[in-house]
Amino acid sequence: MLEWLDDFLLRSIVAGLIMVSIAAPMGCLMVWQRLAFLSDTLGHAAVLGVGIGLAFQTKPIFGVLAVVLLIVFSLSRVTSFNNALSETTLAIISHTGLAGGIILVGTLPAQTVNIEAILFGDMLAITLSDLATLFITTLILFAGLAVNWRAFVAVSVSREIAQAEGIEVRKMQFLMYTMIALLVAIMMKVMGVLLIAAMLVIPTTSARLFSRSPEQMVLISGLYGLAALAGGIASSFQFDWQTGPAIVVSATLFLLLTLAITRLRSL
Amino acid sequence: MANEILLRARNIRYSQGGRVILDNISFELKRAQITTIIGPNGAGKSTLTNIVNGLIGQFDGEIERSPDLRIGYLPQKVYVNTLMPLSVERLLQLTQLSSDDEIDHALSQTEVGYLKHRQVRSLSEGELKRVLLARTTLGSPELLVLDEPTAGVDVTGEVKMYELIGELRDRLKCAVLLVSHDLHLVMSRTDQVLCLNQHLCCSGLPESVSQHPEYLALFGQQASDSIAIYAHHHDHVHDVSGEHEDHHHA
Repeated sequence: MLEWLDDFLLRSIVAGLIMVSIAAPMGCLMVWQRLAFLSDTLGHAAVLGVGIGLAFQTKPIFGVLAVVLLIVFSLSRVTSFNNALSETTLAIISHTGLAGGIILVGTLPAQTVNIEAILFGDMLAITLSDLATLFITTLILFAGLAVNWRAFVAVSVSREIAQAEGIEVRKMQFLMYTMIALLVAIMMKVMGVLLIAAMLVIPTTSARLFSRSPEQMVLISGLYGLAALAGGIASSFQFDWQTGPAIVVSATLFLLLTLAITRLRSL
Repeated sequence: MANEILLRARNIRYSQGGRVILDNISFELKRAQITTIIGPNGAGKSTLTNIVNGLIGQFDGEIERSPDLRIGYLPQKVYVNTLMPLSVERLLQLTQLSSDDEIDHALSQTEVGYLKHRQVRSLSEGELKRVLLARTTLGSPELLVLDEPTAGVDVTGEVKMYELIGELRDRLKCAVLLVSHDLHLVMSRTDQVLCLNQHLCCSGLPESVSQHPEYLALFGQQASDSIAIYAHHHDHVHDVSGEHEDHHHA
């Protein structure tokens, strides 16, 4: 029934579509709650996870999950109700994770790792089992969003109001961090650790320019993500560019185009 | 019932990490009365409001609420995210759905009906405060708990805010519990003052509280004088033509 997924190009397109669909709502929540830097940090630290996974000869995603979940559990213990995540703390975790990961990966036999694929993604090399992991995790994330959407939006608008009206803000914060960790772990294969944050932030920023409601912003982000995906895969195919970077560059081109149009219209 | 007691607090005691924050506080909140909590920083004002509105559930003493008491609460510092696309209408429905009529009615209570479809990020500080105040009136509350509702608003805005709170009290016939620093602005509109500094220093009518030795010790003679001056300034009534008649002069 799913023989069509045998084609590597179709597999990568399906993977891209799944990623774009979940990146839109998650990206919006992260931009609203100023958590974009957290996804960057988790992405960088995930390199250490890949190294650990490979060193223990299991699937890299298990190592990645262990590392990113450990980080978010520790972060949610140290951050208080009002304090945003400290940039310094995030930067230290981010770069130590990346540096440690690179060293660890370097000690492994060369044929087991492709460092470039870790850093920038290798969409065209996605296997059926990668696709299954991506699909199931995305379903879990969507379920989490569907159940808690009103609360997540309320916490994004105002922690004080949310708290006063009976939403357990710290619990929601912890849930959000955990969902971001899962998202980073599955997006890594497609976008590479260095480019995950771009896919969460750039389409969202384009959408913010003319959205009137939170849900509208999510939908429009999804459309921008779709456009970036199409542009990225097409140019990657046409010019033999790496797919992850091509998606990011086309997302930014769409953002610039939107900026130009909104400027012209306001003249 | 005009003077129905909506909430009775008896011997409230609260400590955190071994430090006593509230000690032996008792008071009553009555329908259509404005009660103002004043006190220095760290006096336990916000803690007391959180015990009244139920956010703090663990304390010693007793809070007796009239059955199914509906409370509208405005926290002290409300930071509203300006990164988000969000209409005023949606802000009012953040944690619960309301009908269009209820939203229109709530916004008209604080005279901001015209802001309904505006984006929250385009509001001025004063407009936002009035929208947030309107928000607390959703679901026709019987008690409004307002923790420093004028923080961050300029002086004209403050006067307007207190006028609106007075009007809300008249229209909704609700009890209002107010935390405030603006002593003289608040005093003239208050039915009951609770002067708090961990314990209840004194309580009662504004005029009697402002002469109480513990009040004077906390806020000084100047604060007391400013209330006296204020009371004096407003010791007259305006007639229809705008002329005013003085009742008495010292």
